[in-house]
Amino acid sequence: MIDELLANPVTLLCVVISLAVVVAGLVFAVTSPRMLLLVIKNLRRNLGRTTITCLATMVLVAMVTMIWTVIYTLDMVTTEKSKDFKLVVTERWQIPSQMPPTHADYLNPESPKFLPELKGMIGPNDFMTWSFYGGTLDPTKFTRENLLFMFVMNPKHIRSMMDDLDTLDPALVKKLGDTRTGVLLGPERLAMINKKVGERIKVTSLNYKGINLELEIVGELPAGRYDQSAIMSDAYFNDELDKYARTTGQKHPLDNKRLNLIWLRVRDRETFSKVGEIVENSPYFADRPVKVETASSGIGTWLAPYADILWRVRWIVVPAIIVSMTLVVANAISISVRERMTEMAVLKVLGYRPGTILKLVLGESMLVGGLAGLGSAVLTYALVNFAMGGIKFPIAFFPAFFVPAWGIAWGFALGAGTSAVGSFLPAWSARSVKVSEVFSKVT
Amino acid sequence: MTGQPIVRVRGIHKYFTRGEEKIDVLKNLSLEVPEGEFLGLMGPSGSGKTTLLNLIAGLDRPSAGEVWIRDQLISKMSEADLASWRTRNIGFIFQFYHLLPVLTAYENVELPLLLLPLSSAERQKQVLTALDLVSLTNRMHHRPGQLSGGQQQRVGIARAVVTDPTLIVADEPTGDLDAHSAEEILNLLCELQKSLRKTILLVTHDPRAAERAQRIVHLDKGRLVEGDTSTAIRPAPVGAAAGMQETGIKQQGT
Repeated sequence: MIDELLANPVTLLCVVISLAVVVAGLVFAVTSPRMLLLVIKNLRRNLGRTTITCLATMVLVAMVTMIWTVIYTLDMVTTEKSKDFKLVVTERWQIPSQMPPTHADYLNPESPKFLPELKGMIGPNDFMTWSFYGGTLDPTKFTRENLLFMFVMNPKHIRSMMDDLDTLDPALVKKLGDTRTGVLLGPERLAMINKKVGERIKVTSLNYKGINLELEIVGELPAGRYDQSAIMSDAYFNDELDKYARTTGQKHPLDNKRLNLIWLRVRDRETFSKVGEIVENSPYFADRPVKVETASSGIGTWLAPYADILWRVRWIVVPAIIVSMTLVVANAISISVRERMTEMAVLKVLGYRPGTILKLVLGESMLVGGLAGLGSAVLTYALVNFAMGGIKFPIAFFPAFFVPAWGIAWGFALGAGTSAVGSFLPAWSARSVKVSEVFSKVT
Repeated sequence: MTGQPIVRVRGIHKYFTRGEEKIDVLKNLSLEVPEGEFLGLMGPSGSGKTTLLNLIAGLDRPSAGEVWIRDQLISKMSEADLASWRTRNIGFIFQFYHLLPVLTAYENVELPLLLLPLSSAERQKQVLTALDLVSLTNRMHHRPGQLSGGQQQRVGIARAVVTDPTLIVADEPTGDLDAHSAEEILNLLCELQKSLRKTILLVTHDPRAAERAQRIVHLDKGRLVEGDTSTAIRPAPVGAAAGMQETGIKQQGT
């Protein structure tokens, strides 16, 4: 989690701002509880305006939190890790990658054909293959509800190699391994096809013509990233391809192209370079050359078509929303300060230092902004992750995006930060009020 | 009964600018106010009374000259230092009370004490003593909007004296009150001067208010036209003021 934080400067900045604001707020509350009361009473003075400012901040924070969730997730998957990073082996000259299954044998540490040069660099738990199988539950009706996309893989690699599935119930993995025709389905997909665990489904293939499967739903994948996904065992898939060859007398056209991706995990960048060099130059892959990339680089390639739109969202839309938030707060606090110039002058007469008045006005603004931001982020987190099933923004192969726990820090920092910036000029004018001028106008 | 000068104004000059125009408000003015004196400042509108009061209270700085309060040259202090100095040394009473509407009478009186290093118990004691002095303990949980003009001004006086300041300055404190309430407020100021030996500077247009002062100085076109009066001070402080002396709204440093 700390690695994730350090890898994302914006989130790190938000966490630092949040901590600083919380500490400053606590110090203020403990050392000057009566001043805090004054701040709160001032906010209650015009409850309508405070509420509208709060709501505006909440809406804008929610928008930024959702947009930044998408950007953050894509950033995280395309950011190189310093250690334990995954490599993806794909066909060098063709997209989509369609490799022969024998390629996996040379890279599987448990295979007798495993390249001896790779020993010590890739362990048994650092290997996984994916084949993609797409089908429909009703060949006469190609609707979104009937479609099923599956990762075909060895079940024993699920916990060790699949992102976010390291805590999947081992009993479920065992059941998938033990049930030849088993499949695990995401909860949303399960609900969409109106089936339950234990029921069977017939799938007519869309990409492997003639390889139709009869599957038994043995369990449910955790909600979230895999809501719409399915995982089936590669043993059944391979058997069906063999059966096709036996019954038709010829191999399936995709028989020797069934392997889409090979995943490897290495301990560091140096090992990655070595593995890359060995694999890419190995004569075993000469007939169908492969390339070795880090996972982040591989995903980056998939995201290349979206680069322009993501750039605009990151550098135009999000800053525009933040500026809007700042202006909303600046407007509300300016009006509030202008209405209370005489009170500011009275406070000065009573001995309040300019800095104290500045702090009081900033405190009012940051209390509203911080709490609105925090409330909005917590609500967004709960609604998006638990009620909406993620932000449905289909991009590359991400079906939905989920607000990370750090999103709460984004909301708090954004609310408090924009409030501080927006209220700084009004607070400065309150701080600089000339007592004699104010009272000469009053009288 | 008065003592050494507590206020010494030496050759001050104050001008304001309006566009290209330079307006001289105070011209080479000098004044001394002995400790414990009740001084009335009178003069026509625009004569510079409030400007002089603001300079003495450290709310403004002279264009030239010096303002000393006790042994401190306040005309050279920074704005932040002046603010801290005012908390401990100046009690200001406004014509329009200027209480914070969101706070109760108690909380308004407590405001200056929040800047001083006092425990909450000490603060509470001083606030209650000040409210007792102006006979408003029974209304202390009311907000300004729930108080009459006279009561609001009494809260203003309690706020001015709660830190036991060196000097109390009052700018037309009865200007917004009816005759009866004005009389009450003037009585209260006399009580403060007499029983607590407070030095009071009162700016007023009202000759009846000025009569309460021991000495009246007149300002005209930014110059002093001094004339002593022998105004009788209202006799004898009553319970609350005496009680304040006993329970001690203490001097908060110098």
